[in-house]
Amino acid sequence: MSLLEIKNVSKIYGPLKALDNVNLTVENGEWLAIMGPSGSGKSTMMNIIGCMDKPSLGEVILDGVDIAKQSSKKLTEIRRDKIGLIFQQFHLVNYLTAVENVMVSQYYHSMPDEKEALEALERVGLADRAKHLPSQLSGGEQQRVCIARALINHPEIILADEPTGNLDEANENIVIDIFKQLHRQGTTLIVVTHDPEVAEVAQRTVALEHGRLVKEIINNNFEE
Amino acid sequence: MFFRMIKGALFRQKSKMIMIAVTIALGASLATAMLNIMLDVGDKVNQELKAYGANITVVPKESSVLNDLYALDEGEDASAHLKEEDLGKIKTIFWGFNIIDFSPFISTTVTAADGEAVKLNGAWFNHHLSLNTGEELDAGIHSLRSWWDVRSGQWIDEQKDGNENAVMVGAVYAERHRLATGDTITVSTANGSKALTVTGIFDAGGDEDEQLFTTVGNVQALSNNAGLIDSIEVSAITTPDNELARKAATKGPASLSPADYETWYCTAYVSSICYQIQEAIPDSVASPVRQVAESEGNILDKTQLLMVLITILSLFGSALGISNLVTASVMERSNEIGLLKAIGARDYSISGIVLTEIIITAIVGGVAGYFMGYGFAQIIGQTVFNASIEMKPMVIPLVAVLIVIVTLAGSIPAIRMLLRLRPAEVLHGR
Amino acid sequence: MKKQTMFLRMITASLLRRRSRMLVALLAIAVGATILSGLVTIYYDVPRQMGEQFRSYGANMIFTSSDSGKLTKSAIDKAVGSIKSSRVVGVAPYRYESVTVFERPVMAAGTDFEGVQKTSPYWRISGEWPSANGQALVGKETAETLALKAGDTVTLVYDLEGLPATADEASGGERKQNTRDFTVAGVLDTGGNEEKYIFISIGDMDALTGKSDVYDMAELSVSAAQDQLKSYVSTISAKVDGLSARMVKRVTQSENTVLSKLQALVLLVTVVVLLLTMICVATTMMAVVTERRREVGLRKALGASNRSIIYEFMGEGLLLGGIGGLIGSVCGFIFAQAVSMNVFNSSIQFHWLLIPVTILVSVLVTGLSCLLPVRSATEVDPALVLKGE
Repeated sequence: MSLLEIKNVSKIYGPLKALDNVNLTVENGEWLAIMGPSGSGKSTMMNIIGCMDKPSLGEVILDGVDIAKQSSKKLTEIRRDKIGLIFQQFHLVNYLTAVENVMVSQYYHSMPDEKEALEALERVGLADRAKHLPSQLSGGEQQRVCIARALINHPEIILADEPTGNLDEANENIVIDIFKQLHRQGTTLIVVTHDPEVAEVAQRTVALEHGRLVKEIINNNFEE
Repeated sequence: MFFRMIKGALFRQKSKMIMIAVTIALGASLATAMLNIMLDVGDKVNQELKAYGANITVVPKESSVLNDLYALDEGEDASAHLKEEDLGKIKTIFWGFNIIDFSPFISTTVTAADGEAVKLNGAWFNHHLSLNTGEELDAGIHSLRSWWDVRSGQWIDEQKDGNENAVMVGAVYAERHRLATGDTITVSTANGSKALTVTGIFDAGGDEDEQLFTTVGNVQALSNNAGLIDSIEVSAITTPDNELARKAATKGPASLSPADYETWYCTAYVSSICYQIQEAIPDSVASPVRQVAESEGNILDKTQLLMVLITILSLFGSALGISNLVTASVMERSNEIGLLKAIGARDYSISGIVLTEIIITAIVGGVAGYFMGYGFAQIIGQTVFNASIEMKPMVIPLVAVLIVIVTLAGSIPAIRMLLRLRPAEVLHGR
Repeated sequence: MKKQTMFLRMITASLLRRRSRMLVALLAIAVGATILSGLVTIYYDVPRQMGEQFRSYGANMIFTSSDSGKLTKSAIDKAVGSIKSSRVVGVAPYRYESVTVFERPVMAAGTDFEGVQKTSPYWRISGEWPSANGQALVGKETAETLALKAGDTVTLVYDLEGLPATADEASGGERKQNTRDFTVAGVLDTGGNEEKYIFISIGDMDALTGKSDVYDMAELSVSAAQDQLKSYVSTISAKVDGLSARMVKRVTQSENTVLSKLQALVLLVTVVVLLLTMICVATTMMAVVTERRREVGLRKALGASNRSIIYEFMGEGLLLGGIGGLIGSVCGFIFAQAVSMNVFNSSIQFHWLLIPVTILVSVLVTGLSCLLPVRSATEVDPALVLKGE
């Protein structure tokens, strides 16, 4: 069974069809990039996969559960247990230190564990910045804290929304390296982006246009 | 464009702006209500203190100082008197408007049917006066003796016919003589006798409980003093004494410099009102009843000071309330300010936009608040004093200045802080 | 690490690291709490303090003999003893006797001048209060008639067999008389009957008349409300033989009227000020919390349930409310004390119960004003909050 199956999903806002009959399957351990210009339905797609929104039509089966049929409370639980989110704008709690930001995620999931949180920061190369506040970190460092936060609860899927959108090239490369490392460790990655460079490094890329899936590219040069 | 942006902010961020306006309105209403009450509380409490009765007594110049002491020699009544017809003149003095009640008194010792001597007082109860100034007024002891507890029957109503021979009897006397309302008592002096009907029995908690009160005319007839009275009790609204008033009272008005005299004469000190009454009523001496006049001043001062301090606290509270919220709401707009900076707006134009918005909101809130405050002041006035609180015009500029200062004080530091931030920081990291 | 520890760590971090905003909120709460505790303290203490001010109207209770005889010192003391001593402002016993001065009859009153200064604070003296035996206070009218002023000497003549019926008899007959010289310490101005009397000390009166322990009446100034006075009056009249206590209605009734108005005024003012202040505090808190919608969205996206988000914000609010309430209780006390010292020259009575009440109210107001914006923030889709703006 696939980890995520999207079947005939449409999302309709009034007269606008943000998603129009989309079908997509993601396997366990896969690295998928969703590409498209703004307004193509990327964000809607991301929200639906991230359990922050429900489709108007169709089924979204995540790990055997149809999230379209769940209450918003249940959705919160699913999101907490199965999904790690990374945002373009990082969204760190600005009054908590790096390690505390990671612990927030643990706190909502199960038990906060500072040691484990520090290990997660070490994985993204920020062990020495653990006690810094977001305002004292560079954009790249903030995004790495976000990644550590997304990883901490060992989610089924890491869902990243334009993770490099606010980063310079050097930091972009650091983030991509971390993604590669995660992929090697068997994490399922879904990266929403409009940046071809970020999409290129993924195993598979799907392109959205006007709410429809128009293209699917398998990356043959994918380096394991 | 400037106005368009402001319009945009005002109308599109409606709920936020409404919240700021509401807070400013609350603060302004608090300030308005408290300032008005503070400024009016003196007058209001002064009115209430009139419950203690007269604060000025007027007696004839050649006073019957020794009359009371010589009163043992009955019938020998050679003492001086005032004329009842002069009474209306009290209302014609400079501070006539402040004189709220007065009553003449005349007394004589009469013999009741059982041969016992008793003091019979004549006074106005609710005497109707039509002054030649056109003013109409009811004066008398009905309100000058507010503490009398009329146990049975009622106050003598002078304005009704058939009450000419009515008498009110002190509780102690009535009990001793088993008098009840409706009974008739016959009193006599060397000058004749009268049958009086008991209309009310009162408990005054003092010497008057052993005395009788009837109309002035009856006593004048019985004591053969037609048109004459012994003394006048006056209840006047006065300003608490200060240095000037004390100087005038101890050394006499003649000792004052012309300028001081003017000030003293034109201020409602109890001493200047006394002086003016003496001027109006021939051959009279008016003196303050210290028990009432002195204590009045004391209590008025304390009450006013108390209200001033409470007002300061609430002004401080509303000022902080407003500036706090304004600070909070400016800080909330860090994003927008960062964006404006990012697209190249100059600092002063950003401040201009934010300040203009807030000032417009403040004006709307302030105007609404003034009227709310008016309402609060009136509610308090009506509930506590059964009278409306006079709205002093000077409160309007006071409140306006307060609000402008407070809003600026609340917003400028916040704006400066936000302007110091780098746009990128504000827009991204937060 | 336990969950609670993390909870506390998040809350304290939010309070300590978001300093400027938290100060804004804390300031608002503290000011609200100051106004609350300050005004409520004043409200409770004003009747007492004002009541003391009303004592300047003088005696509100008098003792007379119930059987038209005389009072004794022991009866007066016994009667005074049945009133709580802290409530007794002053006691002045009086003994009246007719005397003659320069062949003219004058009423002399023997009294305790220290007591009089307390029971009749409105007496205005030109000169000094008598401070030793042999000194007299002369009423203004009598002083004018007898042409006396402070510093003069006046001779009081007491007729042991009663006052002469006529002037002839006084000058003619052989009479047993006691004579004493007094220095006029001061002239008394009251605007009332007292201006006709000459006041001397009880000791002098006893010496002049040759009789002691006879009093006509005693005036008391008692700091108590009318109802309380009523109960004192009935206890005393029942308990002490031969003495009847009466209220001076003019004073008690009027005090009741005026004081209840003043109390109502302070009450209403307190209610209005508190109401408006609480709303001000609430709007500020709402503004501070509304600002954090994005954070609420983030926490939701990270998998926080609505309930745990509300807990966290409430936790913060309660902590803030508690601290603000505590600061406010202290500031309120200082304010009330300052008011009391300035207005009444006396220390305020502080109700310790007010501290928990102030803290509780601050916590409630803060909590409620956090709850509304947090709830509305949790209802919004996290996606919208995170993407939007």
